[in-house]
Amino acid sequence: MRTHLLQLTLLLFSAIGFSQSITIKGVINDAKTGQPLPGASVTLQNTLKGTTSDFDGNFEISELKLGDVLVFSYIGFENKTYVANTSETINIQLNEALNNLQEVVMVGYTAKKTKDITGAVSVVSSKTIEELKPIKVEQALQSTTPGVTVTSGSGAPGSGFNIRIRGISSNGENGPLILIDGYQGDIDLLNPNDVESITVLKDAQAAVYGAKGANGVILVTTKKGIKNSKTRVSFNSYTGFQETSKKINVLNAQEYALLLNESYANAGLALPYPSVVGIGKGTDWQDEVFEKAPITNNDFTISGGSESITYALSASKIKQDGIVGLEKSGFDRSTARIAMGVDLTKKLKFNTNIIYTDFNRKGLNENGLGSVLFNAINTPPTQAVYDSNGNYTLVPSTPGHGNEVINPLAQIANTYNSYNQERINGNFTLEYTPIKDLKFTSRYGFSTANDVSKSFSMLVDYGSGKVFNNVSRSTVSQNTQKYSNFTFDLFAEYKKTIHENHNFKITLGGTLYQAKAQGLYATGFDVPYNSWEYADIDLANGPVPDGVVPTGSYKAPTYRRPSLFATLDYDFKGKYLLSYIARRDQSSNFGPTYSVAYFNSILGGWIISDEAFFENVKTINFLKLRASYGTLGNDNTGGGSIYRSLLNGEAEYVLNGTLITGTAPGVIANPEAKWESDTKFDLGLDAKFFDSKLEFIFDYYNNTRKDLLIVGIPVSGIGGGAAPGSGNPTVNAGSVKNNGLEFTVNYKNKIKDFKYNLGFNITTINNKVVSVNNGVGYIESGSFGVGQLPPTRMQEGQTMGAFYGYVTDGIFQNQAEVDAHPSQVALGAEAAPGDIRYKDLNNDGVIDNKDRAFIGKPIADYTLGFNLGMNYKNFDFVAYSFASVGNDMVRNYERTENKLNKLNYTLDRWTGEGTSNEVPRVTAGATSNNVFSDYFVEDASFLRIQNIQLGYSLPENFIKKAKLERVRLYASINNVYTFTKYRGFDPAANSGNPISGGIDYGYYPTPRIYMLGLNVNF
Amino acid sequence: MKKYTVKIGLVLVIMLTIITACSDEFVNQDPPYTIDSENYFNAPEDYEKALVGAYDLLQASYLNAMLGEIASDNTLSGGESATDVVGIQQIDDMIHTPVNAQLKNIWDWMFAGVYRASYILEFKDKIDFDGKDQIIAEARFLKAYYNFELVKWFGPIPLKEDARFVISDVTSIPRSPVEDVYASIESDLIYAIAHLNVTAPQVGRATKGAAQALLGKVYLYQNKFLNAANVLDDVILDGNYDLVTNYNAIFENNTENNIESVFEIQYTDAQGAGFECLQCSEGNVAVGFNGIRNYDGPLFDSGYSFNVPTEEAYNAYEVGDNRRDVSILNIVTWAAANNATYGEGYKHTGYYNRKYLPRKGDLNTGDQNLTNPNNYRAIRYSDVLLMAAEANNRGGIDDTKARTYLNLVRRRAFGDTNHDISASGAALTDFIYQERRLELMGEGHRFFDLVRTGRAAQYIDGFITGKHEVFPVPIEEIQFSNGNWQQNPNY
Repeated sequence: MRTHLLQLTLLLFSAIGFSQSITIKGVINDAKTGQPLPGASVTLQNTLKGTTSDFDGNFEISELKLGDVLVFSYIGFENKTYVANTSETINIQLNEALNNLQEVVMVGYTAKKTKDITGAVSVVSSKTIEELKPIKVEQALQSTTPGVTVTSGSGAPGSGFNIRIRGISSNGENGPLILIDGYQGDIDLLNPNDVESITVLKDAQAAVYGAKGANGVILVTTKKGIKNSKTRVSFNSYTGFQETSKKINVLNAQEYALLLNESYANAGLALPYPSVVGIGKGTDWQDEVFEKAPITNNDFTISGGSESITYALSASKIKQDGIVGLEKSGFDRSTARIAMGVDLTKKLKFNTNIIYTDFNRKGLNENGLGSVLFNAINTPPTQAVYDSNGNYTLVPSTPGHGNEVINPLAQIANTYNSYNQERINGNFTLEYTPIKDLKFTSRYGFSTANDVSKSFSMLVDYGSGKVFNNVSRSTVSQNTQKYSNFTFDLFAEYKKTIHENHNFKITLGGTLYQAKAQGLYATGFDVPYNSWEYADIDLANGPVPDGVVPTGSYKAPTYRRPSLFATLDYDFKGKYLLSYIARRDQSSNFGPTYSVAYFNSILGGWIISDEAFFENVKTINFLKLRASYGTLGNDNTGGGSIYRSLLNGEAEYVLNGTLITGTAPGVIANPEAKWESDTKFDLGLDAKFFDSKLEFIFDYYNNTRKDLLIVGIPVSGIGGGAAPGSGNPTVNAGSVKNNGLEFTVNYKNKIKDFKYNLGFNITTINNKVVSVNNGVGYIESGSFGVGQLPPTRMQEGQTMGAFYGYVTDGIFQNQAEVDAHPSQVALGAEAAPGDIRYKDLNNDGVIDNKDRAFIGKPIADYTLGFNLGMNYKNFDFVAYSFASVGNDMVRNYERTENKLNKLNYTLDRWTGEGTSNEVPRVTAGATSNNVFSDYFVEDASFLRIQNIQLGYSLPENFIKKAKLERVRLYASINNVYTFTKYRGFDPAANSGNPISGGIDYGYYPTPRIYMLGLNVNF
Repeated sequence: MKKYTVKIGLVLVIMLTIITACSDEFVNQDPPYTIDSENYFNAPEDYEKALVGAYDLLQASYLNAMLGEIASDNTLSGGESATDVVGIQQIDDMIHTPVNAQLKNIWDWMFAGVYRASYILEFKDKIDFDGKDQIIAEARFLKAYYNFELVKWFGPIPLKEDARFVISDVTSIPRSPVEDVYASIESDLIYAIAHLNVTAPQVGRATKGAAQALLGKVYLYQNKFLNAANVLDDVILDGNYDLVTNYNAIFENNTENNIESVFEIQYTDAQGAGFECLQCSEGNVAVGFNGIRNYDGPLFDSGYSFNVPTEEAYNAYEVGDNRRDVSILNIVTWAAANNATYGEGYKHTGYYNRKYLPRKGDLNTGDQNLTNPNNYRAIRYSDVLLMAAEANNRGGIDDTKARTYLNLVRRRAFGDTNHDISASGAALTDFIYQERRLELMGEGHRFFDLVRTGRAAQYIDGFITGKHEVFPVPIEEIQFSNGNWQQNPNY
C-alpha cells in the first residue's frame, strides 16, 4: 500500500518553469464607492506567486513575463483578470459580487469554491453571527441553516445546546462532530466574535471524517489577520437586562382555595377553607422567583499583517446573571486568543491559533421533580414568602403537599455551588509547498481543560419528610477533572490538469485522535458555621462515617482513533464534478476484531448553467444539480470500551458493622460491538435568478442509520445487569431512518439607498425507528409523575421518543356512563362522574396498562427559519425568527397532589353533567385522572421571533476626524416573542435525550434580552 | 526534478509510516489500572472481594420482604396515592400482571445475586489457598438464598451449575421444574453446612446455623417434614442461638445481630442513595417506604406510608400478647400520647409496620428515606423454633417437641406460662400457623407461609388458586426467551 501511494504521487508530479521581467503596480478599489480595498489578493494565474494590497489598496508585483495573467480577488467581490503586456501602473476596480460562487468554503481537510461543492453544505458567516448576537456560538445556527435544529435543555446562562443535523438517528449521541480550525474541539465555550465562519456538512460530504461523520460535521473557522494591512482594531460592547419570556398561568389564592374546597367536597371531606373572604390573590411565586437580570459583554480584536506575517489578537468577557436566582444561576466567560501566520519561506508556512478560556458557572436545581421552577408553580399561593420573623416559610409537610415541594426562594437561598473551567485549545500548522500544486499540511490541534467544582450541602430542614432535608451533617464536595485531547493531521494535496479540461485533485492523509480524562473527588463533613464561606474540605474536617470513603478518583480509558483518508476530486471544464472519498478508521471503543471500518462515498455535480445551451437563458444565472451517496460511521458507545467486562461494578456490604468495598463485574460486555453506519443520500439543486438576486437551494435527503449502538439495551436479568454498578450491554441493535426536504430561498435587492434581503428556509423531517432488536421491539425512557410507567419509547415503526400512554375519550358525565364503561380500577381508582374516560383499546373489558397507545411525538414535522435585513443610509435593521410545527410535549410540571397549586385551565373543570368534556373534576380522593394519557400531551408547535435589531452608523465624515473607521450604535432584543398554544415555559426546550427529551418538568425558560450596544472599528 | 522526487518521496514515506505503523498498538491498549473480569481471582483477597459483591445483593431483597407482607392479608399497599408505585398497588389488590416493575426488580436483583455468587463458583478452581472452602461455602449459601427467593416468587427458574449465565442462555436453558430448583438449593446448602463455621469470620457473613436454618426452611416449603425436623433440631440442639428475653429489644438498631439472629441482612446509613438505583442503596429502602407519612414526633422518622397493617392483623393478637405493640404501631393512640403529628396516605389504616419503621438517631444521609440502617432479621431463632415445631407436628414426628418449641415462643410473647398451648395434631398445627403469623408479623413471610400451607385463597382477597401461588415472570423475560420459557399458568 505504502509503495503504491508513493509511486502514484511521483507519477502525478510535474515540473514548472520560471520567467521574469515585467513589473505591474497600482491600486485596487471598490468599483462602487471608490474606496481602496486593503488585503485584496493579486495572484499570477495557476501559480502560487502573488501578493496582497496594503492598507491603501496599493500593490506591486514584479518578475512577470509577457502574457502572464494576473487575478485580482477580494472576499465578497468578483474576480478580475489582467494580462501583463508591459510594466505599468494600473487602477483595478472590483465589483461587489452579487453571488458568492467564488467564495471558498472548508468542506473537509481542504477548501472548495462554493460553485464546485457537490454536497449539502450550509455556511453561517461572521456577518450573521454579528447580527444575531448569540451568547454561545451554537445559537447562530438556529433559524439560519436548514436541516439543523438547535435546542437547549435550559435557558439558564451558560447551559449547553444540542445540535441535531437532519433529525435524530441514534438513541445515544446525536451531536455532530465539531472541528475548530481542523481539530476536534468544543464549540460551547468559544467567543462568537472570534468565529469567521461555520460550515455545516450535512450529507456524504462529511465522509472524509468517516468515523465521526454520521451525525454531520460542523467546521468552525476562526478569524485571522490579513497580509499587508495596517493594524485594525474592532471593539464591541453591549449591555442589557433579561426577563422571563413566559409565566405559567396558575391559580391565585382565592381561586386556589375555592377549588381546593370543591375537591374536598367531591371526596366527601370537610372544607379546608370554610371562608375565602379576604384571601385575595396571595403570593405569585413566579413573580417572586423571576427577576430582571443584567448581562454585559465586551470584546475587542486587533488584527493586521505584513508581507509575510498575519496576526489577530482578541479578548472578550461576558457576564450573564440568571433570571432565576441572579448570580446563583449565572455564568461568565473570558477568552483571549492569538492567531498568527508566518511565511517562513516561500514554500513553508506556519500558522497557529491559541485560545484561552475561563468559564464560571453556578446552577440551581432545574427541570425535575422538586426543581426551583417546579416548586414555584406548585407551591400554594395562600402561603406567604416570609413569616413574621422574616424567615422563609415552610411548605407544610402534611399530606397533599408532596415531599419534594419546598419554598422555592428558600431553595434558591440555600443552594450553593460553583464550577470553573480553564481551557487552552489551539493548533500549530505547517504547510509545505515543494512544487506548484502540491501541498503538504501537518497540523497538531489540542485542547486541554481543567475544571474545579464545589457543592455545599448545608444543614437545612424544610419540615418533616421533605426530600431536600439535610438534618444530620453538612458536607462539601469538591471535584477536579482534567480533560485533554489532540488531533494530529498529516496530509498532502495535489492538483493536476490533463488534456486541458480534465482537472484532478487528490488528497491523501491521516489523522490521529486521542482523548484522556481523569478526576479526583473529595467530600468533607461538618462545614464550619454551616456556611458557604467556609465550605472547603480543608475546614470541613469532621469525622468520616464508618465505611464511607470520602475521596475518589477516576481515569477514563484513553480513547484513540487513527484514520487514513483519500479523496479524489475530478471535474471536466468545471462543469461536471465528481468526488470520491474513502476513509479507514480504527477505534479503541471496539474489540480487536471489530475495531476497523471503511467508509466510502461518492458525490457528483452538474453545473447546468455552464452548458452552451444555457447561454441564452438570462433569468437564470446559475443552476447546479448535485447528488451524494455514502456511508459514514459512529463509534460512540456511551463511554469507553464496551467489548470487555471490567471489574467496576459496585460491591459494598456491611461486615462487622462497617461498610466494606469488594469487587464485582461492571456493565455486561459485548465483544461483538461494532460501528454504527449511516448511509446518506442527498439530491440537491442550487439556482440563482435575476442577476443572482434570487437564490434557491433545494435538498432531498434520506439517511438510514444501521447497527445502532443501543446503550444499556434491555436483556434478560439472568445476565446480572441489574446488579449495583453493572448495567445492560451496548449492542448494535437498531435502525432509524430520517428523510425529508430542505428548501431555502434568499432574495436581496436595493432601491436606491434602500437595500434589503429576505431569507426563508424550511426543513421537513420524517423520523422513523425501523427496528429495535432487543426482543421486545422498544426501549422505554423517562418518567412521568411519581412512580408511573416510563412515558416515552423508541419503538419500531414510530418516531424516536414517541409518547406512550392512555387514550382519553372525554369525561364521564354521569354514573350511567361510568357503569357502561369497562372498569378503570386497575389504573388506581374506580371512576366517578367527572373523571377521565379512557379507551379500552384492546377491547378486553378492562382498562389496564395494555390499553396504552402512541399519543404524541417530540420531533417536529417542519422547522422553518425566516430572516429579514434592511439598510437605509446609515440605518440597518435585522429580524430573525424560527418556527417548529407538529412537535408535542408532555406536561409534567404539575405535582398532582391535591393541596398544591394548579394551572388555571382547571377553572374549566367538570362540575356537573355537561360542564366539561375535557378537564376532569377536582377531587381530594383517589383518582386515576393522573395516569399518563393524552390529557398531558400538548401541541408544542411555535413561532419564535428570535432577534430584532436596529442599528445606526455614525456618518463617515463625522467620525473620520476622530480617525475612526466605523461607529455603530444598536438596540437589540433577543427571544422577542413566542407564538404558541403550549402552556409550559418554553416549547423550544428539549433536554437532548433522544428518547425522553419531550418531557417538560418545568424547563428554565430562555430569557428575553434587551440590549444596547456599540461597535467601533479603527 | 530528481531532487524534488526524493524530497517528496521522503516526506510521504515518513507521513505514512507515522500514521500506519502505530495504528494497531495505538488502539488496542489496556485501560489504565483496570482488571478484566475474566482474568481476576489471582489472590485470596480477590475471592474475599468478590464475595462482598455477592453479599451486596442481599440488600436488594428489602423489596421481597416488603411485598411478601403487602401481598398477604397482613398489610395494605399504602403510599401517596393509587398511582404511587403502581406495581405495589397491583400486588396488594392481586391484580398484578407480567408488566410490573417491582416484580421485574425482584427477578433482576435476585438473579444478579445468583450471577455474583456464580462468578466465584465459576473460578473456584483457579487457585488454592487456606480458607477457600469457607468462601466457596458462603458463595453456595448465597446462591441458594437467591435461588430460594426466586423459586418462592416465580416457581420454575433456569439453573446453571457453577457458572454465570450468559445472555444467550435465555433462549437455550429451560426453566427447571421446582423440584430440580429445590434439589440444587439443597445441594448448595448441604455443601455450605459442611464447610461453614458456627461463628462467622465477620459479623454479617453466613454461619453453619444460617445454612442449616435455611435448609430447614427449604425442606419445609417442600413438605419434607422429616428432613426439616432433623436439620432444624440440629440448630436448636447446637445451642448457639436463643430467644431475646424482651421481644421489644429485637428490632432496634442497637440490638442488631443479637443472639436470636440466625441470619441477618446488614444495612448502614453511612452512604447516600437515590431512586435511580434503589438496589445500590446500602440502607434498608423498605424502612423508608414503610415510614409514617409526614410524621413529626418522637422515636420515629417519617416515610412514605407503604405496607400499612390492617386492623384485622392488629386485632389478631390476644390480650396480653406483648408482640402487638412491638409489631404494629397504632398511630392514632401513639400521636395522641406523644403529641406527634402525621399524615394520612393512600389506604390509610391507622397502623404502621413498627418493626421496620425509620428510627430517629441515625445519620439520615440523603435521601434519608432510602438510607435507613435497620438490619433485616432474615431468619430469627423464633422462626427456627416455629419451623421445627411445624415440621415435628405436621410430619407426625413428635407433637411434644412441637409444643415445647411453640410454647418457648409464646412464653416470651406473654411473659408467662398461662398461655401455653396443649393441643395436638391438627389443632396444634393451627396454633403453630397462627403463632407464625403473630411472631413474624411484618417480616415478609406471611404470603409464602399461606401459599405453602395451601391457605392463601382462604385469607387473601382476590387470591386465585392455581394462579397466584407464584408471581408472573416479567413480560420482558418471556419475550427475551423467544419461546424458550412459558409464562406461569393463568397470567
